[in-house]
Amino acid sequence: MISFTTAAPAVGAAFLASLVEVVEAFTIVLAAGTLRGWRAAFVGTAAGLAALAAIVVALGPLLDQVPLHFLQLVIGVLLLLFGMGWLRKAVLRAARIIPFHDENAAFAAETVDATDAATLRRSGFDWLGGVMAFKAILLEGLEVVFIVIAVGAGRDLLLPASLGALGACIVVLVVGAIVRRPLARVPENSLKFAVGAILCAFGVFWTGEGLGIAWPGADLMILFFGAAFLLVGLGAAAVVRQSVGAIAR
Amino acid sequence: MNFLHDAAGALVKMFVGDAWLSVGVLIIVSLTGLVTESGVVPPLVGGAILFLGCIVVLVVSVVRGDRRLRNRRRGSTENRTSIVP
Repeated sequence: MISFTTAAPAVGAAFLASLVEVVEAFTIVLAAGTLRGWRAAFVGTAAGLAALAAIVVALGPLLDQVPLHFLQLVIGVLLLLFGMGWLRKAVLRAARIIPFHDENAAFAAETVDATDAATLRRSGFDWLGGVMAFKAILLEGLEVVFIVIAVGAGRDLLLPASLGALGACIVVLVVGAIVRRPLARVPENSLKFAVGAILCAFGVFWTGEGLGIAWPGADLMILFFGAAFLLVGLGAAAVVRQSVGAIAR
Repeated sequence: MNFLHDAAGALVKMFVGDAWLSVGVLIIVSLTGLVTESGVVPPLVGGAILFLGCIVVLVVSVVRGDRRLRNRRRGSTENRTSIVP
């Protein structure tokens, strides 16, 4: 039986990280549905989910065949690469060096693409809309699958991590169905900042475990690492923002 | 083919957003593995190298990104002013 204190960080990390990806997928599916018709968007979404499920069913059992320390090391390194990339981008956005990700702008860009592209309607089905939705679900979904595996596989927490990701999908779908607009009010950079720090923390922890390092305090070290990455990220953003302000003056 | 190309590109971009950052992380992990496995330092010191090394790589990558983007912006501004008669 998994205790709440063990499962909660996995559920929370998977939920927050998946939320960012699901919002991005939702924006594209919404653009496809609004412009090219909902039938194509739904079929594309269903096909994307089926392809994702096939990948998980095909590759999932392989996880059991890999020795635990090797699995922790590989996942830890991938998490570090993924999480530090997110954190770096979030710091540069917070320092106003690169622009914020804007779901309204992304929706507008997808809309222009879909409107400009030649319409391919065969037997009444809009293939362009279907492919748009399929690509969005498959590509963003692969990131969600990776997050779930990364957060859950090292400690047999795949089920709680999957529930976290499922929760994110439900929240986005329910809110999206109500507002029927891109979810532009989701504080994406703040989420990426927090999730980047959490992923880095899991990354250092799993990589260390994979290399045979027994961390003092065991799982509690994840909280310490997360707080340290968050503080360093916030500090770096403040310093870079100050230097940008000083140059502007 | 275009779709497969996009999918492969998205997967690579997931882990290699900034080449310098990725190489830095891989060097730190390799160094930690080397010193820990060879017994040069106790495992916990290896852990400290891993954690602090990642922090340093992150900070340097942010500073590099800041400088690079600012230089690019300055370059494009200078080009624009040089075109104006």
